[in-house]
Amino acid sequence: MKPVSFLISFLKYSLSFIIVLALWEAYARYGGLNELFLPRPSKIGAKLYSLFVKVEVIEQGTIYWHFYATLAQMSIGFAYGITIGTTLAVLAAFNETFRRYVAPYAVVFNVTPGIAVLPLIIAWFGFGWESKIALATLVCFFPPFINTLTGLLKKNDEAIELFQTIGATQSQYFWKQQLPNALPEVFAGLKLAITTALLGTIVAQFGSATEGVGILMQRFAFRLDMAGSFASLVTMAIMGLLVFTIAEVMDRRIVFWRDAKGLERVSKKKQRKLMVNG
Amino acid sequence: MAATAKKTEDLSQFGQTVIEGKNVTKVFGETVTALEGANFDIRAGEFISLVGPSGCGKSTLLRLVAGLIEKTSGDVKVNDDLVTKPRTDIGMMFQKAVLLDWRTAIENVLLPSEMKHRITQEDKDKAMASLELVGLKGFEFHFPKQLSGGMQQRVALARLIQTGADIMLMDEPFGALDEFTRERLNVELMRIVGELKATTLFVTHNIQEAIYLADRVMVMTPRPGKIAEIIEVKFERPRDISIQTSREFNIIIEQVRDTLGSH
Amino acid sequence: MSYSTSQQTKNISLFKTLPFHLLIFAVLIVIWELTNLYGFEDQIQADMIAPRPTNIVLAMLDIFIIDKTVWKHLISTFQKALLGASIGTAIGMGLAIAATLSLTFRKYIKPWIILMEATPRIAVGPIFVALLGFGLWSAVALAALVAFFGPFVNTFQGLMEVDEEAEEMFRSLGASRFQTFWKLRFASAMELISAGWKLATASAFGGALVAEFIQASEGMGVLIAQYVIMITMDYAFAGLLSVTIFGFILFKIMDYFDYRLIFWKNDYLLLKESEKRRKKAGIV
Ligand SMILES: Nc1ncnc2c1ncn2[C@@H]1O[C@H](COP(=O)(O)OP(=O)(O)O)[C@@H](O)[C@H]1O
Ligand SMILES: [Mg+2]
Repeated sequence: MKPVSFLISFLKYSLSFIIVLALWEAYARYGGLNELFLPRPSKIGAKLYSLFVKVEVIEQGTIYWHFYATLAQMSIGFAYGITIGTTLAVLAAFNETFRRYVAPYAVVFNVTPGIAVLPLIIAWFGFGWESKIALATLVCFFPPFINTLTGLLKKNDEAIELFQTIGATQSQYFWKQQLPNALPEVFAGLKLAITTALLGTIVAQFGSATEGVGILMQRFAFRLDMAGSFASLVTMAIMGLLVFTIAEVMDRRIVFWRDAKGLERVSKKKQRKLMVNG
Repeated sequence: MAATAKKTEDLSQFGQTVIEGKNVTKVFGETVTALEGANFDIRAGEFISLVGPSGCGKSTLLRLVAGLIEKTSGDVKVNDDLVTKPRTDIGMMFQKAVLLDWRTAIENVLLPSEMKHRITQEDKDKAMASLELVGLKGFEFHFPKQLSGGMQQRVALARLIQTGADIMLMDEPFGALDEFTRERLNVELMRIVGELKATTLFVTHNIQEAIYLADRVMVMTPRPGKIAEIIEVKFERPRDISIQTSREFNIIIEQVRDTLGSH
Repeated sequence: MSYSTSQQTKNISLFKTLPFHLLIFAVLIVIWELTNLYGFEDQIQADMIAPRPTNIVLAMLDIFIIDKTVWKHLISTFQKALLGASIGTAIGMGLAIAATLSLTFRKYIKPWIILMEATPRIAVGPIFVALLGFGLWSAVALAALVAFFGPFVNTFQGLMEVDEEAEEMFRSLGASRFQTFWKLRFASAMELISAGWKLATASAFGGALVAEFIQASEGMGVLIAQYVIMITMDYAFAGLLSVTIFGFILFKIMDYFDYRLIFWKNDYLLLKESEKRRKKAGIV
């Protein structure tokens, strides 16, 4: 399957990872790497082994539980964020008054780093899942909003004239032209949103949490357990790559008309379907 | 003015008036007079070319006929109806193919039918036939981005045919193509309009193309946009591309140049 | 007739719309104030969730003019963010330039960049705080780490997207690699590069604030958290508002420099610049 081509290139060039890790390990063993700052890869590996394979219990849960909690909080926040963002965008696209007088608040609001609101969010939503979900929502709603709006308002005079002369109604125009035409921007917004949602979730866990990879990271770091900290970082990188890959694959599947490979794939599929149907 | 518009052409071979303009004027904003006092009378089955330098109001005239913009004064009538809104009995083609990137060629051609009802097998057959007519047999399931510029315009033409409209308005449809492709498409358009017998208003800034295709050439001059002259082209149809080198053809070219040059 | 979104936002002058903007703003504020006064059963809860705008204004007055508490923290956060943004930008642009100049480097850096993009880099915060302490440098380091990515991507994209014909023209003129780089690539990438700087600044603020939340001696993150702990939400809102206002000013300044720097994209500036250069050349 081609859509994961970046993962393939990732493996193809993984040689550079191996070299870097080997040099790092060698330097730690025989040189003078201060392992208080940077633990050697084998120690991080050992920690990962004990977390993932031996299923060591830390902070009242296994690594899988922390992983799941983070992913779940992120997903819920992301769902809220895109719902809010795209709803606002559609309102702004179809109502000029709204676009002129209300949408600018979203833009000004975005100047404040959403993260700055964290203490207030904890005060309002407490130490449970709600505060993580709320921060994730808050930091991730803007990209879907601004991208969907830009996509829907993309200048498209010729297509409008075409649809008018073939007698399309407003809703036919929306579903057949405007919306698909906006999809590349919409998905770019979703990809940004999903990574920021993860970021928001983890930051909220720093503040206060009983579960999640963010709190693991913080506890390990404060105990100056660097192998543990780096192991949590690797876990987060895995989580990030997972989320990123899902977003990327969905993007390539749905907005297939951007690259030659996607076009070829769908074109062949449609032709085959025709032959089956007679 | 070198010559005033001749009003005495022999139009007997064509049907009744389909498109009529009386003193049509269009002013954009307060000051830009894109079209001033245009009079025209286009008969059923006629092919009219509209030539003139860019900015002289050709597209404006076309859009007024299509009902895409509102006139400032005067009257535009299509089939004896005053044009007040976009009309679906008119098919249009633009300089850009305006294809939906996420649809295959045939799905693009089917678009006009979708606006009216659910797609039937009949629509599909018709779309296949339209694509075949424009020389795209075998490319039905290619996406626009997998086709060359000339082929994309052919899809646009097939889509126009699919509308079943008997009035076709074309705004520099081959303007963005190279000379060779343009010439080939001219020949095919000649054949296709011959088959369809549609009334066509064809905008171009290429004098050869205008004359080769048309029964009459309307020459426009700018600032403000005016129809300066209407010239009859009496070559038999179907025409061979070689007429472009004939003496008569070149006389008409001179005539058009004179009109454009004297303004 | 036209489909409703086809109408591009009409250009109505600010002079005409400003009264409506102010009116809407005023209405929102009044609703907020009334909600605080009458919308809750319990006044403590009301002040907790939606502190009164009038109180927030008073808090602003207090922290900016009377007690002057905010300045120290504001300066601290801005210092961290701007230092972090500068370092991050330098690193990001440096990597991007190296990647455009060397194909090998480009190949080998690619998986690292994907990894960097996918990892929530801000999560390194606790490590930095634990190792570098509560002061300036942990925050600067975190800000730089989150900030480098925008300038990297934008600079790289800008430098790679150079017009091929222009490049051939430069080669035909016998331009050196160095000359082509500065006079063509860099100049035509300027618009994206400058957008990258803005991205860097925005994310650097996030980095600085997170480091402050984790643990710091001063900064807006600390101040806002303190106000929340003391349950003086009007002050917390005032703190947030100060970040917004000064952030907004900073971005406006950046926009202005951006606009001046890339003068060839603007008709008015183009005229002015052409006039200036004519005068400079002594041609009247
Ligand atoms: N929507 C519009 N608003 C303002 N001016 C327009 C608009 N459309 C066309 N014009 C102006 O009207 C004149 C004629 O335009 P057009 O009909 O497009 O010319 P042509 O198609 O012959 O090149 C030009 O000067 C053009 O700038
Ligand atoms: Mg035109």
